[in-house]
This record gives sequence, C-alpha cells and structure tokens, in this order.
Amino acid sequence: MVALVVALGAVVALVAVLVAGLLRSHADILKALHDLGVGVGDPVEGRGADAPAGHGATSGPVPLRLGPPLPPERDSSSAPALAGVTPWGDALAVAPASSDGLTLLAFLTTGCSSCAGFWETFRRSGTVGLPYGTRVVVVTKGPDRELATEVAALAPPDLPVVMSGEAWDDYEVPGSPFFVLVDGRSGRRVGEGVANGFAQVADLVRRAEAELGERSVGGRAPGGAIGIDGPAREAANDRELRAAGILPGDPSLYPRKLEDLYGPGGSAGGAPAVGPVGRAG
Amino acid sequence: MPVLRAHGLETTLPSGFEGRIFVRPSAGGAVAHPVAHFATFPLPSTTGDFGGGAVSLMGDTDIFAVLFEYGPESLGTALFARQGMPRSLTPDDFRPYVLRRGLSGQSGTQWFFTEGGRPFTLYVVLGSHARRAQLVPRVNQLLAPLTVQSVAPAAAPGAGWN
Repeated sequence: MVALVVALGAVVALVAVLVAGLLRSHADILKALHDLGVGVGDPVEGRGADAPAGHGATSGPVPLRLGPPLPPERDSSSAPALAGVTPWGDALAVAPASSDGLTLLAFLTTGCSSCAGFWETFRRSGTVGLPYGTRVVVVTKGPDRELATEVAALAPPDLPVVMSGEAWDDYEVPGSPFFVLVDGRSGRRVGEGVANGFAQVADLVRRAEAELGERSVGGRAPGGAIGIDGPAREAANDRELRAAGILPGDPSLYPRKLEDLYGPGGSAGGAPAVGPVGRAG
Repeated sequence: MPVLRAHGLETTLPSGFEGRIFVRPSAGGAVAHPVAHFATFPLPSTTGDFGGGAVSLMGDTDIFAVLFEYGPESLGTALFARQGMPRSLTPDDFRPYVLRRGLSGQSGTQWFFTEGGRPFTLYVVLGSHARRAQLVPRVNQLLAPLTVQSVAPAAAPGAGWN
C-alpha cells in the first residue's frame, strides 16, 4: 500500500512538472507572438495591448512590418531627426516627425546588391508609385563608411540624400536595404522592415496610409482641417474621396447633369432635379 | 539634437526644425555663395533661395528662415554696416509687408549684416502675423546657436613665396 502511494505521488509530481513545463512553453510562445505583433491578450501587466514591439515604454499602434522579424528589443516607435552631409558636401537635417504627412526613410548603401534596384527606381521615377505627398529621404552611412562620389553617382536628382551613420544607429538599422515609414502627425514610426523590391515598399506605404486614414475617422486629421491650401488641401481631398469609395475615374468626378451627383430623381436640398448643370434657371 | 555644419556655418537645430546649408552649382561664371534654410515643415528640394516654393506650404504655426551670404564685394557697403547677426528678435520686428512673396496672414523680417568678415542677410517668415508673439521665441531658439566661421583675411597684395 505504501509503495502504491509513493508511486502515485511520484506520478503526480512528474505530471505536475510536465504541466508546468507546458505552461511555461505556452507562455513563451504567446509572448513571442505578441512581440511580433500578432499576439492576443496582454501577457505583461501594465503594457498596452497596442504597445509597439520591443519596448513597453510608449503606447500606440504596432508598426507595420516588412520582411523577416526584427529583434524584439529594438525601439520601433521613435522617429528622431536625422542630420548629416549630402554627397556634394552640403549639410542636411530632416525632421520626419515634424511634418503633416508620411516620410519614408530609405536606408541604402552603395555596395549592397539588393540596394541597386532601389537606387535605380528612385533615380528613374522618384516617388512615383507612392501615395501622393509621401516624402522620401535616402539615408546612407556617413562619409567615414561610404565614398561621397559613389553616393553622388547613384543619388536620385529629385530626392534628398543624407549621409549619416548616426541616423543608422538612431534607427537601429539591422542591414540594407531597410525602410522606415514615419507618420508626421503622430511623430511615430508606422512601418519598417527589409524589402527586396519597390513594390513591397509601396504596398507598406499604402497600407499605412489606409490605416492612418481609418484612424482619423471621428477625429479629423490635421490635413483635413479647414484652412489648408495647396498640395495639402489636394491630398486631404484625395483621402476623403478614397475613404468615400470615390476613386480616380469615378463618373461622379465628371458630372454632366445633377443626376450624376444626386442620382435619378434626387436633388440637392430637396429641390426638384433640374436639367444639365449650367443651364438650370 | 541634429547638428548642421557646412560651408563655414554651423548650428544645432532646436526640436521640430529641419534645415540645410548648401551652395548652388555655379552657373554662367557667377560665383555661388552659401545659403542656409531652416523650417518647421518639410522643405521641398526645389525651394528658392528666399523661400519660393516653400512659404506657400506654411501653416499658421510654421517658421521659415534663410541665411544668405553675399559676395565679398558687398563688404564695407552701407547695407551691411551692422556687425553681427541679430539673435534676439522681437514680435515688433515682424511686418506683414516685409515679405518677398506677400502671402495673406504671413509676416516677415529681414536684416543685413556682416559677421566673421562675411556679408549676410537673414530673412525670417512666420506662418501667422497674429501668432508672432508665440513664434518669435522659437525663431530666437533657432538663431542662438547659429555660428559663422570667420573667413581668413585676404593676403596682402604682393605677398607670396620668397
């Protein structure tokens, strides 16, 4: 009888150890998933569910990711100003967190083969393919690590290029080509990662823009504020139209009759529909 | 805070500012001199020397500043008689009509001076004249750390190798 009790106790102890190990393993998996931005629940008390991966000091939306996972301990939210020199010996400082729109920082080198396509795309097309108003800044390592003449030979004519090793440190760039997307209104990174092609980067920017547009519903974004003018106003109008499902080429953008605007039998302010615009009495 | 240093000009930018110090490529035999642009909004790459293409993008709380160097032929002229850049502006220094491009609501100030043996003009635009009391302290924060490196005195005529 004693032997049976001892054996049973040993089995219970063994099962308890196994269960504890499984729970620990499960917790590790959940924590890893959460750090990658796909977790559920909140494994760490006091840390907001929306906290960016890798640091619990600040709260906010999880940045969109490109390419392979990044180390969880890195700061994925701050967007410090960056300063350096241009390949032509001028000085340049950019403050992506101080703008009203999106700034895409493209960390490229002259030597990496994966970067060649991006240099070529930026030189040939500038920001074509990115949402209107997106600012692109190319960031190479400093003059101590890159030859200014080589950077100058690759530099796109219409985009700012800054050589700054400090910026690579500040943004904890793990390698090139690496991209960081900053939302100037919130002053935070909204996306980052390694990309192999420009299409991936353009998709990241479009997704971020769509998310930011959704978030601004109910709390009007600064770009949509009354009183803006010029390109900012045009960009705000484009955002509003896209949000309403009106895309380029939509017939409602080219009305010939009031029916094109208000539908058959419809009218503005309850007034009866009238004839072609411009001929209404 | 970001440090800008080029062409004998140096500054540490206050939070929220960006800028550049550059020399345009010489054209038609003309000698280009350094220009510094500072702004609280993204500066277009095509910004003119005195803010063309940029000031129209300014919001009410924005600031744009230019430090523009002239050639040595301007040294000693009455226009550049003032010694040293003004680094403590007041709201009264700004006028809506002191604008290269008169945009409604904006306000500007312009100063000609010599510092470090180099002739300059400082031109500052505020996004809103009505908010000048709020914006001018930020302008002064920008100007305070700005330093101008002195040019080496020109060699005396006839000086040279033995």
